[in-house]
Amino acid sequence: MSTTQVHANLTDEQVREISGNLDEPEWLLETRLEALEALEALDMPDVIRTPGRDWTNLHELDFESLVDPLNAAENKDQVGPEDVDVLPWAEAVDEHEELLKEHFGSIVDPQENYLTALSTALFSTGTVVYVPEGVDAEDVTIRTEQNSRSLFNYTLVVTEESSSVTILERQSTGDEADEQYYSGIVEVAAGENSYVQYGSLQNLSEDAYNFTLKRGDADTYATINWVEGNLGSQLTKTEVSTELNGDSSETQIVGAFYGHNDQHFDLDVKVWHRAEHTTADLVTRGVTDDVARSVYEGVQDVGRDAWDTSSYQRENTLMLSDESEADASPKLIINNHDTEASHSATVGQIDAEDLLYMTSRGVDPRSARNMLVEGFFVPVLEEVDVDELREDLEDLVAARLRER
Amino acid sequence: MSSEQDHLKETDTEARFEFKKEQNAAVKSEKGLTEEVIRMISEDKDEPDWMLERRLRALKQYQNMPMPTDWPGQPDLTELDIEEIVPYIRPDVDKREGVDDWTELPDEIKDTFDKLGIPEAEKNALSGVGAQYESEVVYQNMQEQWEEKGVIFMNMDRAVQEHPEIVKEYFMTTCVPPSDNKFAALHGAVWSGGSFVYVPEGVTVNMPVQAYFRMNSEGMGQFEHTLIVAEEGSEVHYIEGCSAPKYGTHNLHSGGVEVFVGEDAHVQYSTVQNWSKNTFNLNTKRAIVEANGTMEWVSGSMGSKATMLYPCSILKGRGATDTHITIAFAGEGQDIDTGAKVYHNAPETSSTIESKSISKDGGRTNYRGLVHIADGAENSSTAVECDALMFDNESTSDTMPYMEIEESKVDVAHEATVGKIGDEDIFYLQSRGLDDDDAKKMIVAGFIEPITEELPIEYAVELNRLIELEMEGSLG
Repeated sequence: MSTTQVHANLTDEQVREISGNLDEPEWLLETRLEALEALEALDMPDVIRTPGRDWTNLHELDFESLVDPLNAAENKDQVGPEDVDVLPWAEAVDEHEELLKEHFGSIVDPQENYLTALSTALFSTGTVVYVPEGVDAEDVTIRTEQNSRSLFNYTLVVTEESSSVTILERQSTGDEADEQYYSGIVEVAAGENSYVQYGSLQNLSEDAYNFTLKRGDADTYATINWVEGNLGSQLTKTEVSTELNGDSSETQIVGAFYGHNDQHFDLDVKVWHRAEHTTADLVTRGVTDDVARSVYEGVQDVGRDAWDTSSYQRENTLMLSDESEADASPKLIINNHDTEASHSATVGQIDAEDLLYMTSRGVDPRSARNMLVEGFFVPVLEEVDVDELREDLEDLVAARLRER
Repeated sequence: MSSEQDHLKETDTEARFEFKKEQNAAVKSEKGLTEEVIRMISEDKDEPDWMLERRLRALKQYQNMPMPTDWPGQPDLTELDIEEIVPYIRPDVDKREGVDDWTELPDEIKDTFDKLGIPEAEKNALSGVGAQYESEVVYQNMQEQWEEKGVIFMNMDRAVQEHPEIVKEYFMTTCVPPSDNKFAALHGAVWSGGSFVYVPEGVTVNMPVQAYFRMNSEGMGQFEHTLIVAEEGSEVHYIEGCSAPKYGTHNLHSGGVEVFVGEDAHVQYSTVQNWSKNTFNLNTKRAIVEANGTMEWVSGSMGSKATMLYPCSILKGRGATDTHITIAFAGEGQDIDTGAKVYHNAPETSSTIESKSISKDGGRTNYRGLVHIADGAENSSTAVECDALMFDNESTSDTMPYMEIEESKVDVAHEATVGKIGDEDIFYLQSRGLDDDDAKKMIVAGFIEPITEELPIEYAVELNRLIELEMEGSLG
């Protein structure tokens, strides 16, 4: 299980060069070097395993050829309203060092696993979103178009007391046609009584490998809502999670995915209830077609001190082909009895009666099927606050159905 | 209820489970697992060579397999030292294959099973009873009317001698091969006792057959093997009850159950087990179900220090059906990790899993389930429902289902809920004159009703009594 495949061609000098180009202070460089140093001892992220089977095999990835740290290239938009700081990484290093010192690596441990450490050591692009106390910021947009073999991206969002922000992040592929590796870490520190909606739309090329880890820390009365849309990539391993560390904090995690051809999505959704009166609602809907495969793991973890918890999880998969596979494991870990928790998961095909009903009313079978698939996503799309994200998701689903 | 049933209900359940007997063994193996021990067991049983060979092969597999230690959240097995376990104890009975007249049993054993209520149960409701004490079946009886129809119910050791052709074909070959897991391999090496049930084509045994397993000695392992073969169109209900008193050192129970459900056949396998709270209960139970056959698992898991038990059905033929109903209760210091596995390997197969758990005083329950729908198992459906009831925040209740779906024309649904006992429910019952404890007991009784209604009345009463005792914290 140990992972030593890449380490050979990565060096301190490369890391120093990346850090130097961004004009980073010594402590950041140290964090990167320590992450590099730790690689050898770290394992791949956990995947679901049942006897005789790893549901996702990350060990087959050939990092040696995928990772090319000094030739990163991207097109990037980082925009937001005036009273909010939406800063490229180098500028954030310059303007907000104290903020970075406080939060960088505090929510996602740089050495949590092999891929987080690799990302920490090598990231060359990033964004810091800082929302001061009481400010409401809509429409922060971060677009990343990858134009190189590998790209390591880091995002930090910090909201002060009683502020709010909606963020739309997108990843796509530019010119590069061959296999690529995209890695992104997102940390959200939501201050007391603040609100964050973080929407993400991943539409990388279907030759790309994608690793992302997004995690939020919600303070008292804070809300962190995630939207996680996955359409692109050949292989995606992603975790979206919230630690409800403050009393009465809340989170909603909405997921939508559509896998076709031979795409493989491994999606983790997790919430840790660590304080009193916290609420979580996890909703994921996805489609698998052709020989695509989805692996879903959802965890609701209620700690011993999490009195008066409410926690709900639903996951539904629609299978459009016999050759696709949809695996699911929604887990409940409950250590406090003062809890209302439930989860449910379903896998099925398009309802034959619905299809018959529509075709009997003159809709041709192909359109009927497409309408039913689009309709299947409606319950999750309804939860998306950002119009642009919702419309883009709808358009991408519709386009994929057209080419089917 | 008849007066016998009243009597059963009133028997002091605690006393029935917790008494200990002086050890009085005719043959007792050394501790630990060596080829010599395996040869000694086989020789003591006067087994044919082929069975000895199977045991030795299983021992090799056992030695080469790692302990299961990488399951998320699994029970802690570090205190289990198999080398300290005595794998074989033959109690001192005159007839090796057990007696068929209750009065012939030595007093100490007769008294044990009398206290457990076995003779009454046989008289009242059962078509046959087997009783195992330590490693051997000491009593076995089958009502004549079933024997005349060709039904075989005997202890497994005797079946090896008397029905070698059937045993050779089915014993740990296709259903539970020793290579399946570490404890299946262990079981294959040291198995002793257990039941063999054979129901010929078209025969319906409409009264349950029962086996009762009792571990009495300190630090022993019990490894009974149960093999049930139900031919085409037959029907049988097999019930297993287990118990052991509590000792200072750990006991190990690692049974093996193999069920072959023929075409259109129907087998129900019910267990109520109440191992002492220092027993590691690590079993492999599996059924292979042919076309249109039905397998029903009903199990109540009480007692034990740690249980890892996931009865499994392989739905092999078109239209095969599986039903799982399980209930687990974990009190102080207990980790009950149990669930269900179903492989849908043919079209139009269906399964339903209903799992209930109760945790209290720091106990942990976990539902760990796997539903696999193979490519080609079209029009199959499965519904899994788990409910957990927790009494306090020292306790833990987890739900870890795994669903592997390779076929699109399916209907798969999983649901789980966790909740505390509703304050409103308790208030309602209290307002009608029940005190707090009685209100909780009543809520729990309602919670577990789906399982008790699947059991014959004796077992249902027994299960209710056991849970009441657990609720009072007075057992073990």
